[in-house]
Amino acid sequence: MAPKDDFGFSRRDFLKTVGVGGIAAGVAGPPEAGAQTAAVGPGAVPITLTINGKAHRLEVEPRVTLLDAMRNRLNMTGAKRVCDRGACGACTVIVDGRTIYACSALAIEMQGKNIRTVEGLSEGTVLHPVQQAFCEHDALMCGFCTPGFVTATVALLERNPNPTAEEARKALDGNICRCGTYSRVLEAALSAKGVKRG
Amino acid sequence: MASWPSSPTLLGKSTRRLDGPAKASGRATYAYDIRRPGMLYARIVRSPHAHARVRAVNVSAAEKAPGVRAVLPLVDVSQPDAAKAMYQGDEVVAIAADTEEQAHDAARLVTVDYEVLPHLATVEQAMRPEAPAVFPKGNVTQGSLEEEGDLAAGFAAAAHVVEGTYSTQVQTHSCLETHGCVAEWEGDRLTAWVSTQAVHATANGVATALGVPQTNVRIITEYMGGGFGSKLGPDFEVVVASKLARQAGKPVKLMLDRKEEQLGTGNRPSAYAKVRAGVDAQGKFVAFDAETWGTGGAGQGAGFPLPYPVYVWTSRRRRHRDVYINAGPQRAMRAPGHPQGSFITEVVIDELADKLGMDPLELRLKNLPPEEPNRMWGKYFQMAAARIGWSRRHKTGDPAPGPIKRGLGCAANRWGGGGSQQTRGHAEIHPDGSALIRIGTQDIGTGTRTVLALIVAETYGLPLGAVKVEIGDSRYPFAPGSGGSVTIGSVSPVARIAAEQALGQLVAKVAPSIGADPLALAAKDGRIFVKDDPSTGVTWKEACTLLGTTPIVVDSQWEKGLSSVGTSGVQFADVEVDVETGVTRVKKIVCVQDTGLIVDKLTAESQCYGGITMGIGFALYEHRILDRNTARMVNPNMEWYLLPGPSDIPEIDITLVDQPERGVVGLGEPPTISTAAAIANAVANAIGARVRDLPVTPAHVLAALDRQREGGTL
Ligand code: FES
Ligand code: FES
Repeated sequence: MAPKDDFGFSRRDFLKTVGVGGIAAGVAGPPEAGAQTAAVGPGAVPITLTINGKAHRLEVEPRVTLLDAMRNRLNMTGAKRVCDRGACGACTVIVDGRTIYACSALAIEMQGKNIRTVEGLSEGTVLHPVQQAFCEHDALMCGFCTPGFVTATVALLERNPNPTAEEARKALDGNICRCGTYSRVLEAALSAKGVKRG
Repeated sequence: MASWPSSPTLLGKSTRRLDGPAKASGRATYAYDIRRPGMLYARIVRSPHAHARVRAVNVSAAEKAPGVRAVLPLVDVSQPDAAKAMYQGDEVVAIAADTEEQAHDAARLVTVDYEVLPHLATVEQAMRPEAPAVFPKGNVTQGSLEEEGDLAAGFAAAAHVVEGTYSTQVQTHSCLETHGCVAEWEGDRLTAWVSTQAVHATANGVATALGVPQTNVRIITEYMGGGFGSKLGPDFEVVVASKLARQAGKPVKLMLDRKEEQLGTGNRPSAYAKVRAGVDAQGKFVAFDAETWGTGGAGQGAGFPLPYPVYVWTSRRRRHRDVYINAGPQRAMRAPGHPQGSFITEVVIDELADKLGMDPLELRLKNLPPEEPNRMWGKYFQMAAARIGWSRRHKTGDPAPGPIKRGLGCAANRWGGGGSQQTRGHAEIHPDGSALIRIGTQDIGTGTRTVLALIVAETYGLPLGAVKVEIGDSRYPFAPGSGGSVTIGSVSPVARIAAEQALGQLVAKVAPSIGADPLALAAKDGRIFVKDDPSTGVTWKEACTLLGTTPIVVDSQWEKGLSSVGTSGVQFADVEVDVETGVTRVKKIVCVQDTGLIVDKLTAESQCYGGITMGIGFALYEHRILDRNTARMVNPNMEWYLLPGPSDIPEIDITLVDQPERGVVGLGEPPTISTAAAIANAVANAIGARVRDLPVTPAHVLAALDRQREGGTL
């Protein structure tokens, strides 16, 4: 069976470019981080993650992903673990302005970066315009994919506040929804207003 | 009651689901998100072999590994006949440790001595006469025979006969939230947060499996990330986690990973049919004869209705056999059997139409049963034909030059649904004016929470937000599992009855205070007032203060009236196929679906979007592929098990047919049934060759075109 990439319009062609960068960073480490991570592990090491503007100090083994660090250590469970290997987008977070798959980045490599998650989008009970649009358009059913879609949509609109349908689809092609909310996610993405350029 | 409400304030409109903000903000807490103090993480060691006897399991290194708190054997090696893995992923040992990483490490230290046994990887292998006897009762069941009418006479009357073999693939549920739970004991009482479609069935099954009274078991499902039939429980994972938690004296989280989910938590069985079908010169379906088989994996059946029971055939015969192979067992999957039966039947019908030289829509209309409220295919076909522009349909094979061919196709669906009379509900109205409805159902993404609030708020004449909904807990009054599209038909009547009775009690307090006859009162817009003299009345809050300190408490039972059984719909597809690459693009799907009494238009439409999207996956992409030598799954993940993504979704045009007099009708399943059939027919209409096997991959399209060139598939 041919992989979907052969179709010429696969979501996997459009895996968020930074998602791939994130994976690469997770494996090889960016040059500046390389020096300090070379000798650590395999036991837990102290790290600091800046998430939604707040510094979190925690101890994790170097093999722990950003997703697991957030979910299991920091009890930030907005980002979901679904495939755990960069194929579904449920774990999407925004790092230094670009989306990555948190399941495919090591927590230790994310130090010194500005990490934004779905938890940081609403202010108290006031939803972010994208979250609001998702609710209005019923772009969520079971809701398990929703944090990933919301985050990916926010990143898209911060880059490109008025995307075409095609641009929006491509930007969201790294995310999977089994309940089948895509049509409405697209409506929501195209109708969300008031997202500032990030 | 069926005509309730006569002039709705809330029902039938597009209402945002109540839990949208919680889901969109990441605050909604799923079983996967539960974290309890001191919680351990569990892993299951599974057989890598499709068929093997477990001779010995050595856990001594694992037990000593850092962080390990409990080890639980899941096979009994002293029983050689029973200690067998029947498919890749069958469970062998479970381990719980302080951290997830430690649980992984410990699982790797378990050594299992397997005696690898002969296995069956495909239905073809299982059906060979010389196949090894893998399953105690045989690899292939004796089969069942269904017969109706005089088949010989039917074929004698046939002007045209179509013969072919059709097949559909195995589809996995692929719920985004995998199966699993967090289990915690407090003394001899168990609480488990479970990703399930059935809190009550889970409580019952888990209590039985653990040998504890059901009164000591509480199952909570506040939110759950998709089930599609695979989580009707009781799930083995809950039993395992509970046992580990008991052993360790700490809460245990056991959530499967994606590979485990793909291997062992269910699937839609495959279907094969060798069909001979005849139509007479006037276009009447006179004969349908089929040999069918399929596999639901290890020891599980693969039933599907055939011919799909929409059209009338004057004679039919069908012989079906279940084939067992060494693969993960099937579970109910969204309209079990129906997409398979629909695909095979509807493709055969299009082939008959071609032989006859008749428009396939016209042929369908000639063979429908008489119209009834729950079977209005004729009307729906006409409505949908107009919406897709059926008049522009060309004969099979797009004559347009160039490699891109366009085509149209259609298919019908039906579903039973209804409601369970076992369902119970509980309503409260408090002196402060707050109101509550409580039912032990669960919202699996369908909007159940919102539907309940709407029905109760409509009854009380209050805004939606005034009603608190409590669901997702096995301590709440009984409701059935959310399967078979029966949830709305079960809980709506119960909620309505409870609310009506509670309101009746409130009205009885109000009536004397304003000197009115209780029967003359109405509740609307936050007031209770005399129908003919709206100025005489009190606000809801004032009415509730009349309760003093005693709330109104009502327990209700399901009664006939607000729900009905049976629904029907049709779907049309407009596709584009590149005959050079074989790639199919769906351009548009038109869906016309009976919705009965629409409670929430927004969430009802979402069901249709969802069903169609899953149908597109079934039609074009999804396929559980087993290695034919090892019977191991080639694509137990989400990058090679191809689910449709945002760019695969066409324009979707939904018409909900509101029939309030019918009461509510479940919508979870019907909209997924006919999508693949409509797409397959549209593909044939485009390319002028029949694809008789799902999914309609480029390979299948190109093969069909080759066969067509070699002598014809039409
Ligand atoms: S969980 Fe990270 S991409 Fe699927
Ligand atoms: S809403 Fe359920 S997976 Fe997207």
